[in-house]
Amino acid sequence: MENNERLASEITEMLRDWSDNHHADSADALLKLVYGELRRQAHRYLQKERSGHTLQTTALVHEAYLKLIKQKDVSWESRSHFFAIAATMMRRILIDYAKTKHRIRRGGVHSDVPLENALTISVSETDFDLLALDEALNRLAEKEEHLAKIVELRFFSGLDVAETAEVLGISESTVKRDWQMAKAWLHRELTR
Amino acid sequence: MAEEKWLKVREIFDSALQQKPDERRGFVNDVCGGDKTLLAEIESLLSSLDGAESFMETPAVAKVAGAFEAEAKVLEKGKCFGHYEIIEQIGAGGMGEVYLAQDKKLDRKVAVKILNERFSRDESNLQRFIREAKSASGLNHPNILVIHEIGESGDAHYIVSEHIKGKTLRAIFNEKTLKLSEVFDIAIQSAGALCAAHEAHLIHRDIKPENIMIRPDGFVKILDFGLAKLVEQQAIGLEKATAKQNETAKGVILGTINYMSPEQAKGERVDERTDIFSLGVLIYEMLAGRTPFTGDSVSETFANLINQEPQPLARFAANVPDELQRIVSKMIGKNKNERFQTMRDVVTDLKDLRENLSLNEKLERVASSGTQATAVLPATTGDANILTAETQYSFSLAVKRHKPLAALASAVLLISALALSYYFYAAKNTPVGNKKSIAVLPLKSINTASRDEIYEVGIADSLIYRLASIKGFIVRPLSAIRKYTDIEQDPLAAGREQQVDYVLASNYQIAGGKIRVTSQLFNVESGQIEETYKGEKDTNDVFAMQDAVADEFGKLLQSHFALTSGTPSAKRGTENEEAYRLYLQGLYFNDKRTEPDALKAIEAFEQAVRLDPNYARAWAGIATARRSIANGLAPASNFGRDTVIHEQHRISMEAVNKALELDPNLSEAYSALCENKLNYEYDFAAAETACKRAIELDPNSPLAHTTYARFLFGPGRRFDDAIAEIKTAIDLDPTSLLPQIVYTVCLTYARRYDEAARQLERLAQRNPKGAVVHFWLVGGGAMPGNDAEAFERLKRFQILAGTNEETIRIFKTAYQAAGWQGVLREQAKISDNYNSALFLRACIYAQIGDKKKAFEYLEKAYERREHWMAYLQTDPRLDPLRDDPRFDEMVKCVGILQ
Repeated sequence: MENNERLASEITEMLRDWSDNHHADSADALLKLVYGELRRQAHRYLQKERSGHTLQTTALVHEAYLKLIKQKDVSWESRSHFFAIAATMMRRILIDYAKTKHRIRRGGVHSDVPLENALTISVSETDFDLLALDEALNRLAEKEEHLAKIVELRFFSGLDVAETAEVLGISESTVKRDWQMAKAWLHRELTR
Repeated sequence: MAEEKWLKVREIFDSALQQKPDERRGFVNDVCGGDKTLLAEIESLLSSLDGAESFMETPAVAKVAGAFEAEAKVLEKGKCFGHYEIIEQIGAGGMGEVYLAQDKKLDRKVAVKILNERFSRDESNLQRFIREAKSASGLNHPNILVIHEIGESGDAHYIVSEHIKGKTLRAIFNEKTLKLSEVFDIAIQSAGALCAAHEAHLIHRDIKPENIMIRPDGFVKILDFGLAKLVEQQAIGLEKATAKQNETAKGVILGTINYMSPEQAKGERVDERTDIFSLGVLIYEMLAGRTPFTGDSVSETFANLINQEPQPLARFAANVPDELQRIVSKMIGKNKNERFQTMRDVVTDLKDLRENLSLNEKLERVASSGTQATAVLPATTGDANILTAETQYSFSLAVKRHKPLAALASAVLLISALALSYYFYAAKNTPVGNKKSIAVLPLKSINTASRDEIYEVGIADSLIYRLASIKGFIVRPLSAIRKYTDIEQDPLAAGREQQVDYVLASNYQIAGGKIRVTSQLFNVESGQIEETYKGEKDTNDVFAMQDAVADEFGKLLQSHFALTSGTPSAKRGTENEEAYRLYLQGLYFNDKRTEPDALKAIEAFEQAVRLDPNYARAWAGIATARRSIANGLAPASNFGRDTVIHEQHRISMEAVNKALELDPNLSEAYSALCENKLNYEYDFAAAETACKRAIELDPNSPLAHTTYARFLFGPGRRFDDAIAEIKTAIDLDPTSLLPQIVYTVCLTYARRYDEAARQLERLAQRNPKGAVVHFWLVGGGAMPGNDAEAFERLKRFQILAGTNEETIRIFKTAYQAAGWQGVLREQAKISDNYNSALFLRACIYAQIGDKKKAFEYLEKAYERREHWMAYLQTDPRLDPLRDDPRFDEMVKCVGILQ
């Protein structure tokens, strides 16, 4: 508990710093903080999860993440900022991660990867390529930045429709409508 | 302008979504007016959304979970785990991290392996693992790692074992080449340990260099008993869990396939003999410095493991005794029935051989002290364990006879020479199917003053290595062609002597830091030069130069033969190795002709297209496999469920279209298209066009010829042509099951019953599980004539297929009571109970003379669009119905090809 409080105030502090000065440094520090906290929480949850439980790692990390970004004692304005940054950050983290995996699979870092891992074909976690999505999302942003923002919030940041509407200050039905459009457009880009 | 258009698209798209789904198309049509571009854009977005229900609906954070998990696991120095204090991490693998730790209670160093969360989550699997690991440890075999404790502390499961100061075999491979004596030491100790385990009914399942520890004193310890099983089960568990969650996210997990037995790599049930295979691979690697089925990629390794014979060890190591080659070959036989059947036998043979070798070594000492053999035999070195090339060959089995030593010494040499020539004789005469054999001659220098072996033999060696990696080539080893180094040899004469189809003769010239290589490929039979290669490289880096020459020439040759023989490797169709591997896996399952296998095939193909959405061949694979399911494969109990037929057809056609969109000249896609036209749409003209196109696009495609044959014996009504087509398909791929089944059907439809019966027997031998099904499918029951013979055959097939005794008894009683008609009546009952294909039920009722029921079923089969209806006109089982006017009407209804 104590730890969470400290963290919340730390985040508020950083957010303030970021919104006052728009320093790249403070965004980076924030990113590190979020990432580190995510990892710590993931670890804790995973350890806590006993044999026989059906909860998936995925759900656990997601839960941890949501807890972190939904700190109620951060002001609304800051929270909106935070969501926005978190979405961008998550996109960055995920794309970096996907790139690393991609490189390993392409055999680019052969010598560094233990043979066992290089030859292990794991369960595919997604039914589409994150890197391709990232590129398509850039193209979508050129057409209509607003749609790309919704995708960042919903997919990369994991917000539901209501939360997304709150952050963007638009109605839920607009979010739903725009989400359908973004999905249709991106899905077509990825499957053509 | 563009922005305006975008807004328009959005507006229409949004309002289209407000409409009811089935009214959307019409709505969009109206709104777009005549603007076709706009209409197409909206429609493509709408259909894209149709397939996107789950797309992006799981937050992306899910994807980093694995990374977090991995990172979260590393323990730090000084942390305590029960009464163990972590000193440092000493290893990491797929299953968990290994730490060196201090056991504070007993004051000793131990190894602690902390199991990855996902492998310890399932309690029952974990318990099984613990049991196995404990039993293995309980064997108290000196070569099996002793486990002190398996337990759980706080949140983690861990295994505490003795700490071995030593290196894994993998680490040793990286450092040095093993001596023959060391290979024997390691092999015999490992085999002994596994033998003890097998006798206690424990299988290791994951023998690989990482799991063999060698102490500095040469003592072997085998690690990780039972862990592989845990991983395997977790993999399956994961697969199931994911499948439940999300139909599209199924997956397979494979470990290091280099050491897996074929049955293990295919995911089949394994027994003790899988360890025999893996140990064989390990011994091969110790001797050759590479694993026997290595490919450039996982997919190629998998394909080699399933299809290719490994190269003889002599290709890589000059000093391998024939007998050791024999042992290793027998260990790594693809068919587990042809391997050593017990590890005990492996141990015995290895020990015998080692004994004989040391006997021979003594012989050698005697020989070197005064017989004439000294001139030929090299002196042994001080190290009793080092055996030189020439002496190794002398350990033929003849040595075992313990003749007087001195007399034997010279005889040994003679025998070894004979053994050697026999080896090459045997190699030449091994049946090689359609493979091309080739001998690469040492290079000749144009300028004799600048001769250099590094070019003459070095380049030849690189070429041999490169060519051997190409599928469809048999390449003579370096040892066989080395003798041509010093002889002015006519390439064609050398080719005849080597009994090869092709000879590659090359020369080189060196000037100004450059080497110019010219190679000519001779066809030995015709005497023609079929291909010429010229390359110029820097001589600075000799190895790079050799590899570059070999690679360029390899590519040239590959495309040369791809043009003339259509080698499949030349047209993979994807750059993604995993996708290609999955595609091969899909083909493999697809040929097994059962429904569960077809589902596995679909899964593999679908994964392939997920990895490479532009992989046209994999799309065609999906189309074919979906069609197979719609056709209703064995087991008979799953025949013909109408929703399945319509749905599978729809998906199959979608995949056909996707494949053709990506590659309009893809033969397989046309074959699948033909099947769909033939077996569902009953559009026979279109079917014919499609399968002819398939053959035109790839005259060497077995699938294309098989599909055409199916058309021909059905609506095509040309039985002889059908038989000719299917024979072509069989020639092109003698190993595949489908053409064999179709051949049997062809013969039956052609009313060539005797030949059909013989072919049916062959088929049943190959595919015993399908025996009974084939019997009915290919019209075993339709074959007129000797009832007794038909019944005998049925009984045999039932036994082959493992039919339960109760069913066998029922048929027997029926036969005794009413002859073959009795059997058919019983069959009618069974097919009603099992909901088998309506058409097949019609066939049975036709044969037992119940025309009314037969026609009822035919009508239903037509409504359900069973694939059999395409063969209505020609199926011999319906012969009793043919003069009924209702039959003609039925035929007209389905359609007749004009």
